[in-house]
Amino acid sequence: MRKKIIYAILVLSVLPFFTLRTFGQEVTKITPYVTLQYLKNSESKRILQTTLTYSKNRMEIPLQGMEISLFTGTEKKETIAHVVTDNKGIAKFEITGDTKLISDKSGAWTFTSEYNGNDSIDAGKSEIVIKDVNLEMSLTLVDTIKTITVKATVMENGKEKPAAGEVVKILVPRMFSNLLISELTLDDSGSATAEFPSDLPGNKEGNLTVLAKFEENPVFGNVEKSETLKWGLTTDYSVPKSHRALWTKTAPKWMIYTLSVLLTGVWGHYLFALISLIRININAKRKAREEYKI
Amino acid sequence: MEADRKLITDLTPEIEKTSIKWYITFFIFLAFFAVGIYGLYQQIDKGHIVTGMRDNVVWGFYIVNFIFFMGLSYSGALISGVLHLFHTGWRKPIIRMAELITIISLIIGPFFIFFCIGRLDRLHFLFLYPRIQSPITWDVIAIITDLVGCFLYLYLSFIEDFAILRDYPDLKVAPWKKKLYKTLSLGFTGTEQQHKILSNARMVMAAMVIAIAIIVYSVLAWIFGVTLQPGWHSTIFGPYFVIAAVFSGTGLLIILMWIFRKIYHLEEYITQRHFVNVGVLLTVIAAFYGYFTFSDYLTKWYGSIKMDSILIDKLFTDYYSLFIFANYIGILLPCIIIAFPKFRTIPNITIAAIIAVTALLVNRYIIVIPTLETPFLPIQDTRPDWITYSPTWVEWSLTLAGVSVFAMLFMLVSKIAPIISISEMQEKDKNEIMK
Amino acid sequence: MKDEAENVSDGSSRRNFLKKVGVGVGAISVTGIVGSSLLKGNEAKAKSGKLVKLLSPEGKLVEVDQDDIKSAKGIQPADNETVEQHKLEARAGLPNRKFAMVIDLARCKNARKCVEACQEGHLLPKDHEWMRLYLLQDDSTTSKYWFPRPCFHCDKPMCVSVCPVGATYKRADGIVLIDNQRCIGCKFCMTGCPFSARVFNWKDPEVKVPEGHVYDPETNIPATEGTVGKCVFCADKLRLGELPRCVSACPMGVIYFGDILEDTVTNGNETERFSKLMTDRAGYRYREELGTLPSVYYLPPTQRMFPVESGLEDTDKSIKDRYKKVGPR
Ligand code: SF4
Ligand code: SF4
Repeated sequence: MRKKIIYAILVLSVLPFFTLRTFGQEVTKITPYVTLQYLKNSESKRILQTTLTYSKNRMEIPLQGMEISLFTGTEKKETIAHVVTDNKGIAKFEITGDTKLISDKSGAWTFTSEYNGNDSIDAGKSEIVIKDVNLEMSLTLVDTIKTITVKATVMENGKEKPAAGEVVKILVPRMFSNLLISELTLDDSGSATAEFPSDLPGNKEGNLTVLAKFEENPVFGNVEKSETLKWGLTTDYSVPKSHRALWTKTAPKWMIYTLSVLLTGVWGHYLFALISLIRININAKRKAREEYKI
Repeated sequence: MEADRKLITDLTPEIEKTSIKWYITFFIFLAFFAVGIYGLYQQIDKGHIVTGMRDNVVWGFYIVNFIFFMGLSYSGALISGVLHLFHTGWRKPIIRMAELITIISLIIGPFFIFFCIGRLDRLHFLFLYPRIQSPITWDVIAIITDLVGCFLYLYLSFIEDFAILRDYPDLKVAPWKKKLYKTLSLGFTGTEQQHKILSNARMVMAAMVIAIAIIVYSVLAWIFGVTLQPGWHSTIFGPYFVIAAVFSGTGLLIILMWIFRKIYHLEEYITQRHFVNVGVLLTVIAAFYGYFTFSDYLTKWYGSIKMDSILIDKLFTDYYSLFIFANYIGILLPCIIIAFPKFRTIPNITIAAIIAVTALLVNRYIIVIPTLETPFLPIQDTRPDWITYSPTWVEWSLTLAGVSVFAMLFMLVSKIAPIISISEMQEKDKNEIMK
Repeated sequence: MKDEAENVSDGSSRRNFLKKVGVGVGAISVTGIVGSSLLKGNEAKAKSGKLVKLLSPEGKLVEVDQDDIKSAKGIQPADNETVEQHKLEARAGLPNRKFAMVIDLARCKNARKCVEACQEGHLLPKDHEWMRLYLLQDDSTTSKYWFPRPCFHCDKPMCVSVCPVGATYKRADGIVLIDNQRCIGCKFCMTGCPFSARVFNWKDPEVKVPEGHVYDPETNIPATEGTVGKCVFCADKLRLGELPRCVSACPMGVIYFGDILEDTVTNGNETERFSKLMTDRAGYRYREELGTLPSVYYLPPTQRMFPVESGLEDTDKSIKDRYKKVGPR
């Protein structure tokens, strides 16, 4: 009886470890987020961008070096490419003329991005349906007012139709992000106009880039049109050639002058004292010689 | 160059023989010094974390000591320079002491900066990559200039004595000392021409030493004055520091006079008259010093810019007793003691001097620390040592080591050279006889 | 400063630096590798001969030598020339930029994510905070507010003026950095800075630095005993065109950052015109009267998003205790 009890206690006390271990394994398996974006830039380059991340303590953490497969089509999927995520969890693929795409009846493409998962990460996927939109932008001066006109058309069932009611953003790309100038809603003819501010700084020559963009549009994806022109204020980048200040490498002139004058003055007098010492020594030697002669 | 035997034995009491007392005292100081070295070892080994300094109070006791010792040094230079330049008759027995104070504290002072610096191994960067805009660079240049100047000045005043010692026939000293005197005296024989050259050079150097002392100590004051910190950013700091330095130096001179008089029985040479004269000097300087202190705090208090009033609040609460001691008692008491002829006894004057010197040390402390404890953005921290500064044993031990080195160097010098200038005393005798 | 700016080119040597030194802290960067091999053209092929097919982040299929991938993982020792070159770059700063930060006090609730991100990103010991959070109250009649304080990267930086060896310096792009290998630890800059922005390494920092890491003034990693550290505006991130760590970490979007010459600042989500923020929200600089001309601007805590007290809710006791005695001063 006693033996049994001890045995039971032993089993019971070891048990939690087993359960913990199995639990632990399940808990550490990461559920990833897969996103897929379609980008069409100003040069009509089409890029599929997929990201793989997971969330830890409400922070988004990238999964790096993972292989993700990209497909096209709905029922009958065809592989486009396998890509590997970088240190931000991003992988990109450029759709070129060689890439075979499957479109549906209305002319829309379906793209899928799939991650197969591994021992510690679950599988995940993401799908988007994209219609190819044609975005035009023209920049003109109307009575000295800088005016932006955008127009967007979409091919539907082989016919060109205005993309009415959609939102286009006018942006100026900056070092870290795009600065929003205005948000336009396209009218029935698929076009809209906006005024460009006159006081925005450009580069040294006053050049800046104006960017019209469908941003995260559920139908069109991300589609951009940009142009660089002299619509900004000129910026003066020059740093004074020899800038002398307290916080620069070279000191202000007056400081150097004052210091030199002071130092020469003082050390000059030291020199005098030193010479005096030498003179005493010489004098003493001469006297000693004279005495010796006598 | 003949000098009478009595003068030599009296003024160079330690050259020929070494008393047991000398050894004992020296070893006591040496022990303090050793503790300091151990403290320094700890600091180098474990980092500055062993000191009481932290991110707000980045400068502590070391800097206080640095200013204090440098102050002593500059004031020694000032006193001896002024006394020499104006041919003050009674200067002769004490001028040598002032010169020794100058040079010895000038050697010790910079060591406290070394203790304060985080990367001693990179000290030479000060010369490799100097920036003229930094007051520290000014200070480096100034201290070197001062060191050279003071050595020259001291040496000039020693030459005659070395010659006397060299020529004295039955001086019972080790042969190496004799040789030393011979080399150091540069063959000085005391001809009229040599005297002329020497006294000219001494005159020039006396003037120089005064000028340098003022400039150099102002530079030190500007290390604080140029910053934006409340309590430091003050135009008065240059002259204020100079006066404060002279104040402490004069006090120390009196103390040393008393000590030497006692130990070496120099009653004959250092008389009450000397004490009274230097004491009166101390009072005059105290008055100036008090005036500067008053006007500095008055303007701050009256104008009461927020940061200034926070600082003054702190001085009158956390630092109340120190503030009262440094800026009231330390200035007024010496003045009172010396102002009344009735009180002017040698012990009284010495006590006044001791008060003056300690008060000045405290004054330095309450200039450096409370300001650093009162930054523009309030200190919001939970670690007590980050909020208020208190020196640790390492800082204390190094401070004591500094004081011991001061004493030891004095003792060592007294083994080689006269502590009162023989040549000057001789001159004095001649003059008096002629009268 | 200008002279130095002239003999260093913008990005390419940085990429070389990245490639040879390994990338900042820890991470292997396919971006870095592919980027540099692309730049160098076919040069890379000469090494092991074993080529690996990879897709570059730009979406191109490229062939990269296997050695390059390894080198990013295992971090090769950088040759001196590259390090020296990078040090010059780190002294010159990014050309044609002038960085500024705008901190919106109305949104701050002492979430301390900026502090954490900064400490993590710069491998700071626990008690070292380059970014500090103050709870200020100007007077008993006025309200308390949270006040995040990085280094202000002043245009007339007192800390730089007083440095005797030029260890701390002001770059053309406005950033003030410290060269830990030059600093002698005199702490003069700490008394010079009126904003308590600098911290001293009182002891060995005891942090684990990735093996083979080479010191870079732009991150100030690794911290060295006896020298000074402070916020570096994440100069290393800026070089890569990324926002400083505190900016991206803040969940409230309190901190805006940008190039003032472009008149644009962003907190990662919203991008605003700097001048408009200043006029609309009455932006100001802390203690303008001291004349150090900070590069950090504050938006006053008007129409706050959170009550001040909410800043004390989720914080550790040790942090809470810091603000116990806060009152008007
Ligand atoms: S905030 Fe302080 S450390 Fe930063 S640049 Fe200004 S003075 Fe220097
Ligand atoms: S502590 Fe370092 S950075 Fe600061 S002033 Fe001294 S040498 Fe320069």
